[in-house]
Amino acid sequence: MVISRRALLGTGAATAAVAAGLGGAALGHRLDDLARTVGIEPHPEPDPADDRLIKRVAADQNALLARIEATAVRHRGLRLDRFVTISTAHAKAVGGATSVPDVARAPADRATAVRALVNAYAKASTDRAADAESAVSPALARVLASMSAGLAQCARAVGDLR
Amino acid sequence: MSSTEALQGWLALEHEAVWLYPVIGARFDGVAERARASYGRHRDVRDRLLARLHDMEVEPVATALSYDVNRLRTRSRAITAARQIERDIAAACLTLVGEASGELRTYATAGLRRAALAEITWGAQPKAFPGLP
Repeated sequence: MVISRRALLGTGAATAAVAAGLGGAALGHRLDDLARTVGIEPHPEPDPADDRLIKRVAADQNALLARIEATAVRHRGLRLDRFVTISTAHAKAVGGATSVPDVARAPADRATAVRALVNAYAKASTDRAADAESAVSPALARVLASMSAGLAQCARAVGDLR
Repeated sequence: MSSTEALQGWLALEHEAVWLYPVIGARFDGVAERARASYGRHRDVRDRLLARLHDMEVEPVATALSYDVNRLRTRSRAITAARQIERDIAAACLTLVGEASGELRTYATAGLRRAALAEITWGAQPKAFPGLP
């Protein structure tokens, strides 16, 4: 089952805010803003390959944010607010998305929903680590490596909610 | 800062961790097992860093003559010290990520992830960007 964009906009406040705030932003040459967001002086000339990488990471992280919000809405007892906050910071750091992504509805069973979220965080952590290794800019490599570590922390902490 | 200097900074912190965890484990029974596991992980990382620097024909930094034991007077302060050393190691690894490429960057990224998870083990809350100020 897929949640409509309209429904998600009604419940996924953080995803919608990220998309709304950055909807008009050009995807290219985000690296300077990204580096400054986390306090790193950017490389003067962002590499085109890095711009493509940031665009892909933004799509991934926004999809993850939407998934967390969908789980938070369906399982309010899990109190996922702090994880929404972290994923919102990740999404903002890479520039957000131009629209709210469609996302599968969270599983009804709480344990299954938690397990799915742990797996999603773990995959995102692995993917961002690989992205850090392929980044041309040292500043971007640092941001992605740090993001990977934060996602690993989230995977561990969400797993502890079972 | 060069990648060699970043490696040396990381090694200096691993020396400290290898000293720190046995002291914590000896003083506070309730966290002894956790401290023992942390010690084992840091001893292994320290040994790998020493080998790596030797392979590079670089003289590794030595352990400090002494470390601050006053911060370990209570269980609560000891746990705070454990979180702090892991946070410092995460920052050192992140510095190396930016200075290195290829296999060394991969190694530093793995070290950062390990330190971030160790912070959680010692009671820290997850954060968006471990290792960054």
